[in-house]
Amino acid sequence: MNPRPFLQLDRVIHEKGRLPIVSLLAASPEFSFTELRDTLKMTDGNLSMHIKTLQEAGFVSVTKSYRRQRPLTTCALTPAGRRAFAEYIDLLEEIVRQARAGK
Amino acid sequence: MQTDWASENLQVIRTLMERGAVYRRALAPVMGAVGLTGLAAAGVAAAANVRTAGAFAGYWMGVAVICLGEALLLVRRQALKDQEPFWSPPTRRVAQALLPAFFCGLAAGLALARGDWAEVWLLPPLWMALYGCALHAAGFFMPRGIKLFGWGFIAAAGIWLFAGPRSLSAAHWAMGVFFGGAHAAYGVYLYFTEKRGNAA
Repeated sequence: MNPRPFLQLDRVIHEKGRLPIVSLLAASPEFSFTELRDTLKMTDGNLSMHIKTLQEAGFVSVTKSYRRQRPLTTCALTPAGRRAFAEYIDLLEEIVRQARAGK
Repeated sequence: MQTDWASENLQVIRTLMERGAVYRRALAPVMGAVGLTGLAAAGVAAAANVRTAGAFAGYWMGVAVICLGEALLLVRRQALKDQEPFWSPPTRRVAQALLPAFFCGLAAGLALARGDWAEVWLLPPLWMALYGCALHAAGFFMPRGIKLFGWGFIAAAGIWLFAGPRSLSAAHWAMGVFFGGAHAAYGVYLYFTEKRGNAA
């Protein structure tokens, strides 16, 4: 079996804590920090850490604003994040296809 | 090489993307407006002395159309405010889930509006049960306790069928309490919980 697709998987996305974040953000224009935390049942610290990693990789943009005089943090996938996620899915599908062909 | 993880990852992604695309509009103003309209309509029905089965069915179907219009206007206003499309895929899925039960309720109401049926007291529990089913179906694509709210309507309809009073005046009262009061109360609950949830 060709190990190339596996080696090409983006390590920033291919992490247990970050893949769900990217998956949710890929389905919606944006998510508030609270919505992400509640949906994924993560702690504030854990989510902040993963968001920071994704932000540093250029995959996620974070906007801080106010809604009804309360601070609101929203996260969204950047075009680079969307591209990387699409490539990640293509590689996963390739791995599954190879596994099925090998059986 | 073990590759089950790849399939599992794809499944996780699919599930999360579906969950991420749920209908996320704030429902508090919709519930509040529908509730207040229902309560006001019950008061008007009592004052206007709506007494025949046909008038009862026609009157409350008219109220339902007004409530639906209010809900659509409020949702559209929110979509414009957030610069998001109004007829988005989650909105479409919710509308599709609501439609079958709404259609059955409309058909039952129209059938009754044509005559003067003595058993008109059955219409509120029937509408309540169908509305509960509609909310339960839409609840798969919506956050919070919409499914539970739907179950509340279904349970109330069941209780009403067996133990509720069987008169036209009680039917107006039932419409006011269940469609008006319940929505208003849920709207107040959502107003406070959504406000807390949106702040981060």
